[in-house]
Amino acid sequence: MKHIRLVWVLAAKDLRIEYRSRQAFLTTLFFAVLILIIFNFAFDPGSAATREASPGILWVALLFPGMIQLNRSFQSEMEEGTLQGIVLSPMDRGAFFLGKFLANVVFLVAIDTLILGAFIIFFNFAIESAFFWVFVTMIAGVIGFSAVGTVFAAMVSNLRIREVLLPILLLPIVVPIILAAVNATREVLIHQDFSTLGSWLQLLVAFDVIFVAAGFLVFDYVVGE
Amino acid sequence: MSLENSPRFLNTAERYLRWTRWLLAPLYLIGALALWAAFVHAPTERVMGEVQRIFYFHVGAAWTGFLAFFVVFVAGIVYLVRRNLFWDELAASAAEIGVVFTTIVLTTGPIWARPIWNTWWPWGDPRVMTTLVLWLIYVAYLILRSSLAEGDRRARLAAVFGIIGFIDVPIVWISIRWWRTIHPVVITRTGARLAPEMLQAMLIAVAAFTLLFATLLFFRTAMRLQDNAAEELAQGVRERSG
Repeated sequence: MKHIRLVWVLAAKDLRIEYRSRQAFLTTLFFAVLILIIFNFAFDPGSAATREASPGILWVALLFPGMIQLNRSFQSEMEEGTLQGIVLSPMDRGAFFLGKFLANVVFLVAIDTLILGAFIIFFNFAIESAFFWVFVTMIAGVIGFSAVGTVFAAMVSNLRIREVLLPILLLPIVVPIILAAVNATREVLIHQDFSTLGSWLQLLVAFDVIFVAAGFLVFDYVVGE
Repeated sequence: MSLENSPRFLNTAERYLRWTRWLLAPLYLIGALALWAAFVHAPTERVMGEVQRIFYFHVGAAWTGFLAFFVVFVAGIVYLVRRNLFWDELAASAAEIGVVFTTIVLTTGPIWARPIWNTWWPWGDPRVMTTLVLWLIYVAYLILRSSLAEGDRRARLAAVFGIIGFIDVPIVWISIRWWRTIHPVVITRTGARLAPEMLQAMLIAVAAFTLLFATLLFFRTAMRLQDNAAEELAQGVRERSG
């Protein structure tokens, strides 16, 4: 019970900072929308081929803000020296991980929902029930992505090359998320085929469970001592 | 600062270098045997022709690559439990060797695949793609190491990354296999049985590569341990001379 409260205090702190400044949120959102637009310039907008490729474009546009947010999530802690404070407090490191992870998930789900809206507009999709499943897939993807990402962001937080190092570490590991999310999105949105959705969601949930547990267990080694 | 690691590390390095020397003669022998088996003993494949002979080196390298990454995983766990830098040096050596062998796999593969499958890079094949992702993960592991300063922190972070990377492999494998069944199947695997001479050549190649891996691992770990000890001694000298 105490742990849950601690997790919430930490996550609420991060989210309050985000809410009060809002600048990072809007800048990241603007960047993601820009990616969606640039892809439409790069490909032939409105063509069948671009439509077929659109789930991939959506997920690339979701990956970039994710990467930016993860890098930021420990940056302010480093700059203000608060990371040391948290590590020195008698708080369980697992709870520290969950707090950071939860804040990242909430931030990314919020921003990704808006990106999804922009995606519907720019790619001329009808607002249909399939988007509910795309949304569910997105949340499942964000959870796994944030779990691994929070651990890696903490790893690289005090390195000078963290901006490039984080994607190098993270992208190979999240290959299953990208494959599952892009294929699930394509099947339900483009092919109106729901038969494989269950398998892909299972894979995402398995990834989520494994890596939230792994992050919880190994975070002590990453920030501790 | 006390010389906590150097005496022990130098002893272990000495022992490993001795083992390396002992392993050289058998290694040359089985290496020559593997070449003979692959190029002379094994018959030419009826459909694929001579290019099929690359298979023996491909399989040998693939097996050792996976073995090396498994060593990284286990050594990482042991390091986190025991906190002895020896295990970190062992993991780093295994990762380097694993990347080299996986690179061999990813080079010999396209050479064979172009004439046989008519494609350099079969994007739907789970084996190829998992090996590629594995290669990416362990190159990232080496980049992570090279960007951190030597010491306990680097060892801890590398161990964590090595463990997470290895846990990821089965999930990558499943996701790519499912992806492939959804995609149009470009390549059909011909379930050709191996002739007995081919199987022998393959097993000899695997044995030769495993021995090569062991030799390189002892040699590289010894180098790293000596490097570590030298660094510690230099540090001690600097501190004493103020």
